[in-house]
Amino acid sequence: MAVITKDELSKNVAEEPSMMTGSTPPKEWMDTPVQFKPGNYAYPTKVEKLEYLDSQQGVSFPNARVWNPEDEDWKLPANWKEIIINGLADRLDRFRSLKIFMDCCVRCGACADKCHFFLGTGDPKNMPVLRAELLRSVYRGEFTLAGKILGKMAGGRKMTAGVLKEWFMYAYQCTECRRCSVFCPYGIDTAEITMMLRELLHLVGCGINWAMEPVSNSNRTGNHMGLTPQAFKGNVDFLCEDVESLTGVKVNPTFNRKGAEVLFITPSADVFAEPGLFTCMGYLLLFEAIGLDYTWSTYASEGGNFGLFTSNEMMKKLNGKMYAEAERLGVKWILGGECGHMWRVINQYMDTMNGPADFLEVPKSPVTGTVFDNAASTKMVHISEFTADLIKNGKIKLDKSRNAHVKATFHDSCNTSRAMGMLEEPRYILDNVLEEWHEMPENTIREKTFCCGSGTALNTDEIMELRMRSGLPRANAVKHVYDQHAINTLACVCAIDRATLTTLMNYWVPEVEVAGVSELVGNALVIEGENRQELTEGLRTLV
Amino acid sequence: MTLLELLKNKEKKIIDVWVERALDSYISSNFFKQTEDQFANPVGVNIRTGLTRIFQLILSEAEQQDFAEPLDQVVRIRAVQEFTPSQAVAPILELKWVVKQVLSGEEKGRALLPELVPFDREVDRVGLMAFDMYMNCRDRLYQARIRELKSGSYILTDSSCASAAVRENLQDIASLAGNSGS
Repeated sequence: MAVITKDELSKNVAEEPSMMTGSTPPKEWMDTPVQFKPGNYAYPTKVEKLEYLDSQQGVSFPNARVWNPEDEDWKLPANWKEIIINGLADRLDRFRSLKIFMDCCVRCGACADKCHFFLGTGDPKNMPVLRAELLRSVYRGEFTLAGKILGKMAGGRKMTAGVLKEWFMYAYQCTECRRCSVFCPYGIDTAEITMMLRELLHLVGCGINWAMEPVSNSNRTGNHMGLTPQAFKGNVDFLCEDVESLTGVKVNPTFNRKGAEVLFITPSADVFAEPGLFTCMGYLLLFEAIGLDYTWSTYASEGGNFGLFTSNEMMKKLNGKMYAEAERLGVKWILGGECGHMWRVINQYMDTMNGPADFLEVPKSPVTGTVFDNAASTKMVHISEFTADLIKNGKIKLDKSRNAHVKATFHDSCNTSRAMGMLEEPRYILDNVLEEWHEMPENTIREKTFCCGSGTALNTDEIMELRMRSGLPRANAVKHVYDQHAINTLACVCAIDRATLTTLMNYWVPEVEVAGVSELVGNALVIEGENRQELTEGLRTLV
Repeated sequence: MTLLELLKNKEKKIIDVWVERALDSYISSNFFKQTEDQFANPVGVNIRTGLTRIFQLILSEAEQQDFAEPLDQVVRIRAVQEFTPSQAVAPILELKWVVKQVLSGEEKGRALLPELVPFDREVDRVGLMAFDMYMNCRDRLYQARIRELKSGSYILTDSSCASAAVRENLQDIASLAGNSGS
């Protein structure tokens, strides 16, 4: 909400009715400078976090300083323009995809109205084509002959401080969800353009703290929260106690155990914050039920990889630790929990960054014997794939009536659907653990799913209104199912979703709670020797 | 023809102008006005549906609580967009202006203009209700921020490192021991 001055207010109420509603005369986008005000930008990275990261091997995060996006002067390094242009030249040379994306867009507009930020704000610079044009115009103006000579006429412009500010604004009004890419006839991955914008901004020390602090924590202790190995284990132990008091089942996970068959990695939010905790209890129960020979790692204690939202090198480094730990512990393969972007890194980048992981085996379920050929290269299986296979082979006993309090719909996470193609497995699980669940409308699910609106490290509270705007298309579809079927649960398979959709629902559809699919599995699981209390709200029941 | 009959006759025209002006408050107003799929265009379709229903409820002299749902469709969206509070609820009040514009277009309408006083009062009532709803939405938003902060995710950015805290504790203990020894 903008804070209005007295002068503006008197003008507002006195002038034409159209002024009352905030109607704005449209101007050429290049002539509309960005305006930073509280609520429309995420806070910049803390100096000590950036300095720490810059001191680390394999990554570079220079120009740490205190600066404020609202100030005219961003205290950029004296040669900032040269840094940016050289940085862009370097990336055009290194990444063939970027060069193609810069050249091949014909501005057909197929992507324009597919972005949740555009749909929630109506800001044309949130049309993916125009967001990409913020970079493309500089590419033309600085790198192509036509752009250098004809300038604006050829859609080119020079790099200026105003352009840099525009980049910072809109590179952080994109959650890299890739919905627009589904509709692009050329397959332009606009997320990768945002990634390049963010990388270029990092060259001059412009980044956001909500991305960089988790990155720094992950680099240091292995997880976003900065939990030490002791604290991490302590939290899982707490959950084991909860599981036992609820179900009478004693679960005994191991940590850093060499020679285990499987290494289990999940977002640290699962062992730390509601509602992920309940999902984690679901994992613990499931592994106990099938007697899985697995170990947690207190070092690779994070599935999430905010490096994806930061820079290629950072993503590679954080992803590398998972495989380094798998090798150190001598496991056969990795089982991954309910995370979104971890799966994008695994399926789209891991193989050429840190792979192939030849020291691991092609994953094979020790319970069903199923070989996961789809993970032959990454050696990493999604918990929903693993669970669906157990159900399909009749290896676990499920009682749907234990989820009688749940009436759900299912949100496809952007990354598991669009970057991994996992569409059926969670649905198959829901069919088997719930008495009733309903799909959202066709153009809002599966590969066309709408983002939660707060991914790529935009889940910070200082941009709450922005998050509610960008999450509107998702919430609107949930509201529709709620109106039709009185659902009370939004199921999903992503830790960021679980946190951000909870807040999103709280604003738009307060009657709906958010649950991980594995939590619903945990609710329904029948385990031999259990001594279950009356759990009217499943694993969430307070006893 | 009574005023009510005329308003019913002109319903489509009035709503079209009203929605058009409300959606003019967005930079990409054409998209919001033209796309009819409610899932592809949640802002435009919700505002159109909400305003249409509100107009029909005013004409049918509905109870105040009946306005809650359609008003919510409009206000909940505008409460998180980049509007001042007055701009967020202004579309409701604009209905008075829109109706006068449409009725003024022909003789029989102009003749009925003085009879609009009760209608205007009704619009004001709905407008005030919209402001209450706006404040509820803002309140909900602040509550959401507080809930997130309390839920522990603040540890991501605003807490000190756990092992550093332990080290500091140990140093404190050591310095206390040192002090007591001196």
